[in-house]
Amino acid sequence: MKHRFTRRRSGVAGLPAALLLFALSAAAVAEEGLSHSFARIDPPRSVPDFSLPDMDGEMHALQDYRGKVVLINFWATWCPPCRREMPALEQLYRKLGDQPFAVLAINQWEDADHVFAYMGDLNVFPSFPILFDPESRVSAEFGVKGLPTSFLLDRQGRVVFRAVGGRAFDHPEVEQTIRSLLAAE
Amino acid sequence: MSRCAQICAVGLVLLCQQALAEGLVEKQVNPDTGLVSWKAQGDALELEFIQVLPDYVRAVYSSRGLPGEIVDKVSGYCVFGTILHNRSEGPVAYRVADWRYITPDGERHRIRTKSEWVQEWRDMGVAFRWSMLPDDQTFEVGDWGQGFTTIDLSPGSRFDLEYSWRVNDKSFTRTIKWVECAPDEAPLH
Repeated sequence: MKHRFTRRRSGVAGLPAALLLFALSAAAVAEEGLSHSFARIDPPRSVPDFSLPDMDGEMHALQDYRGKVVLINFWATWCPPCRREMPALEQLYRKLGDQPFAVLAINQWEDADHVFAYMGDLNVFPSFPILFDPESRVSAEFGVKGLPTSFLLDRQGRVVFRAVGGRAFDHPEVEQTIRSLLAAE
Repeated sequence: MSRCAQICAVGLVLLCQQALAEGLVEKQVNPDTGLVSWKAQGDALELEFIQVLPDYVRAVYSSRGLPGEIVDKVSGYCVFGTILHNRSEGPVAYRVADWRYITPDGERHRIRTKSEWVQEWRDMGVAFRWSMLPDDQTFEVGDWGQGFTTIDLSPGSRFDLEYSWRVNDKSFTRTIKWVECAPDEAPLH
């Protein structure tokens, strides 16, 4: 698997503020565990295709992932629950690495330098693609109102589950939900 | 103020707050900053309202690279970090446009919505649409969200917050009494 963080980057602008905001609400968020439930979208909803750059400027189109179960996570560095989700997303992705399963973490508004510094601070270097949606066009097309928001797409590329707010992606029930989608035709 | 005096002051404030607590609204003081938060529990929609210093607001928006005009305007409001949780077994919906804050003179005021902020920023050529509490959302089981709520009052002002939500076709309203805007500077440094 290609490592997505191959280029050394600099730039920490924004991190102090992100940490300030984190400090403001971290206590409230951290005191309790994140939930692990996903709301089923019934009937499944088709989503518009998109093409976004990753950390290294390579483009990723959603249609390239057709045939896989895809977890799309909309996030930003200043969002405290996003910070908690990232390590668990990596854990989940590695656990299901031998399956037709993909994670696309779509950052909002920020740039690669900023995110690279953030990941260093977090000490998590995701092996799944971090994509950039600087104008928030893709999140708008998905109807995302707040961060983080996550979607699970089935192998036909349809949204079948949605989660608004941070989730414990390392919870066994999340893995079970994804495995059930992997098993479905 | 000495550290000892600060600790005593916080303890005194906490004691007073227990007496002031109303219903299921829990008022807490951050022991590091002295900033206050209110948490209304026991309903389908749980709300936490957290004081945010004007300087923090400035830092958040400045670091996003937003123009000084936006930074100044938002930080001129009384800002609260707002966390909402669906604590029920079904969908819960809210709409900020239905919420009101009531000033000590009895006047009821609407709260500036995220859409209004985003439209103003868009008119300035800025596409940023995050950080504010979304205008309205329907939270499914386990869903929650957060964002800034902006009240058009000066630092230290007091008001009652009236917020509402819907479960199926039924509306619910709750009032948190005597909410206080953050001061200009953190009470404890």
